[in-house]
Amino acid sequence: MSRKRSPALELKSGPDPVVEAYKRDIDRTLLRENLRRTPDERVRELVRLQRFADELKRAGSEASRR
Amino acid sequence: MTDFEGLLGALVRGGVEFILVGGVAARAHGSARLTQDVDVVYSRAAPNLGRLAEALGPLRPYLRGAPPGLPFRLDVATLERGLNFTLTTTLGDIDLLGEIVGGGGYDDLLPHCVRLRLFGMDCLCLGLERLILVKRAAGRPRDLEAVAELEALLGERGGDR
Repeated sequence: MSRKRSPALELKSGPDPVVEAYKRDIDRTLLRENLRRTPDERVRELVRLQRFADELKRAGSEASRR
Repeated sequence: MTDFEGLLGALVRGGVEFILVGGVAARAHGSARLTQDVDVVYSRAAPNLGRLAEALGPLRPYLRGAPPGLPFRLDVATLERGLNFTLTTTLGDIDLLGEIVGGGGYDDLLPHCVRLRLFGMDCLCLGLERLILVKRAAGRPRDLEAVAELEALLGERGGDR
C-alpha cells in the first residue's frame, strides 16, 4: 500500500486527576477474582454476563408491555 | 447479542492478521466491564485484506447505523479505500481498525502484543500497558473510567504488561 501512515503518537502516561478519582471507586476484589482466572475464562465470563444482561433486558421489555 | 467466539473464530479460521483491542482485550486482561462489540486492528497488507473480506463476507457485514439498502460491500477495494469500519454482522458488531490513535497500525502494535488462548484459539491481544496508553490517547470521557480500571489492574498484576 502506498498510502503514508501516521506514526504512533508519543504518549504521556502521567496521572490524570479524573482517572485517579475513578480509581477510588474500583472494586479491586472483583479485579483480583478476575486475575485468578485464565484469559479464556475471563472472556467466557463476559459471554455469560452478556447473556444475563440480554435476558434482563428482554424480561424488562416484556414486563413493560404487560 | 454479539457472538464473540464466532467473530473471532471467523477471523482466525480465515487466517486474518489482526490484534484484539478494546473491550474484549480489556476483559481478557481482567477487566470486569461489559462490552458489546469486537474491536480489532487488522494488517493493511494486501493479502490480508483479501483474507479479511473473505472471512467476514459470509457474515453479511454492513455499516453499523447506516440506513438499509446502501450498496455496501466489504471487499478488497472497499478495504483499500477506507481505514476504519464499524460494522454489524450476523454474529454481532465488529470494528475493523486500520489504525488507532496513540497506537498506529498493525505493525506498530505488534511489539506490544501478547498471544492469548481465547475460546480455544490463539489470538494476538494488545498488551495491558499499551491498551491503557491508546485508551488515554483516544481521550474520550467514557474511556477515563475504563483507564482507571485498567491501571488498577496493572497495579494488581504488579506492573507487568
